[in-house]
Amino acid sequence: MDVQRYISSGILESYVFGMLPEAELGEIEMAVLHYPEIKAAVNSLQHDKEKFVMLYATPPPPGIKDRLLEIIQQENTQEGNDLLPEELRTPVPTPAKETPVKKLPAAKKSTDRIWKYATAAIVALLFGSVIMNFFFFNRSTDYKSRYRSLIAAQEKLDAQKEQHALTSIKEPTKEPDLLTDPAFKWMKMDGVGAFTGNSVSVGWNPQTQVVYLLAQLMPVPPAGKQFQLWAIVNKKLVDAGVFDGGAEVSQKLQQMKAIAIAQGFAVTLERKGGSTSPTMSQICMSAKVTR
Amino acid sequence: MEHTATYTEAELVQGLKARDQKVFGYLYDHYSPALYGVIVKVLNDNSSAGDVLQDVFLKIWRYLDSYDERKGRLFTWMLNIARNTAIDILRSKSHKLDQKIQNITDAVHSINGPLAVHQSTDYVGFSRILEKLTKEQRTLIDLAYYKGCTQEEISRVLDIPLGTVKTRMRNAIIQLRTILNK
Repeated sequence: MDVQRYISSGILESYVFGMLPEAELGEIEMAVLHYPEIKAAVNSLQHDKEKFVMLYATPPPPGIKDRLLEIIQQENTQEGNDLLPEELRTPVPTPAKETPVKKLPAAKKSTDRIWKYATAAIVALLFGSVIMNFFFFNRSTDYKSRYRSLIAAQEKLDAQKEQHALTSIKEPTKEPDLLTDPAFKWMKMDGVGAFTGNSVSVGWNPQTQVVYLLAQLMPVPPAGKQFQLWAIVNKKLVDAGVFDGGAEVSQKLQQMKAIAIAQGFAVTLERKGGSTSPTMSQICMSAKVTR
Repeated sequence: MEHTATYTEAELVQGLKARDQKVFGYLYDHYSPALYGVIVKVLNDNSSAGDVLQDVFLKIWRYLDSYDERKGRLFTWMLNIARNTAIDILRSKSHKLDQKIQNITDAVHSINGPLAVHQSTDYVGFSRILEKLTKEQRTLIDLAYYKGCTQEEISRVLDIPLGTVKTRMRNAIIQLRTILNK
């Protein structure tokens, strides 16, 4: 607040000389309390006013002082009380009591009504709030579940992307490695009997015991059936795992079960999931490990 | 004066709160001319002023507990009571603003009115002092202080803008101050 400007605005003069409407008095009284300069200005104006008023000072008619002292001495008696101006009189029992009694229930009634309205308003607000809570909670959980499913879909897509990236990287780079790796013994097995014209290639690394299979020309097996690779160990067939057939996997290296010793490999058509011992009537192809 | 003792304001307040009638007597001797002067000036009527003065002193005696030293000096407080009591009576007599204005313009124009009464007393010299104010400045102060007109009322009556009322009032008081402190 610009104190100097406030002081020079003329409002303090108006205040001290009683020109301000009552509504504005509070503002000045606050300013007087907060700003010592304003307080000093008001104080000096009050001195001015007193000096000004003293110019009109007039001795009052005699007798007033004696009457006053008389009234004061009797102020605690009924007669003294009657001498006081009406507004200063101590309330006399009868009429004084009636007014508050009359007023009290009226006042109570109006506050009662206010409380009733207030309570009704509060209850209505509470009710509305509960409904809104329910509504928004539902909305928020709906959004939450939709958000979760979106996140899941996103994750799934990411995973698929990653897999695609991995396989696409694996296919061109790893395959030639495996195919040209001298540690791998590659043998091509051509189909016999019903599988004439079909072929698979098997790559085996005797040191690491890793076996890969490329189902180059194999049909999709009949429903409930699956191709199974066997290692020939001392004229016995050892399970080397099942693999898929069909055009889709013809370019894909399928890792089989690890094989430690093998003189050769054979493929049979078995029930889905593979068998523990081969069905010899279903031999599709076989090959010896080249030395 | 019959009371030889003088009191500071604080002692006065203390004595009055203790319902000391001697202090009340001193208060009357000391301040009644000033308060009476205010009442006479507001009412423009000597006949009822004595009764009003009596009421004012009874109010002072009765309401003293509500006096707050922090808000202003005792004299300021008593002046307010005297002025407000007198203005209330003035208003109850004549509600019409016009009538109020008539009173004050009469008072301002005819220096032989209530002022003549004061001149005949030993409080001479004040009118000469106030003559150093312009007529407008005197009217402004009188309307505000003695007739209880608000700025809006003064603005309407004198037909000047509200902002102008404030600045003119300030100028009038500054002028008054220089005159009073000479």
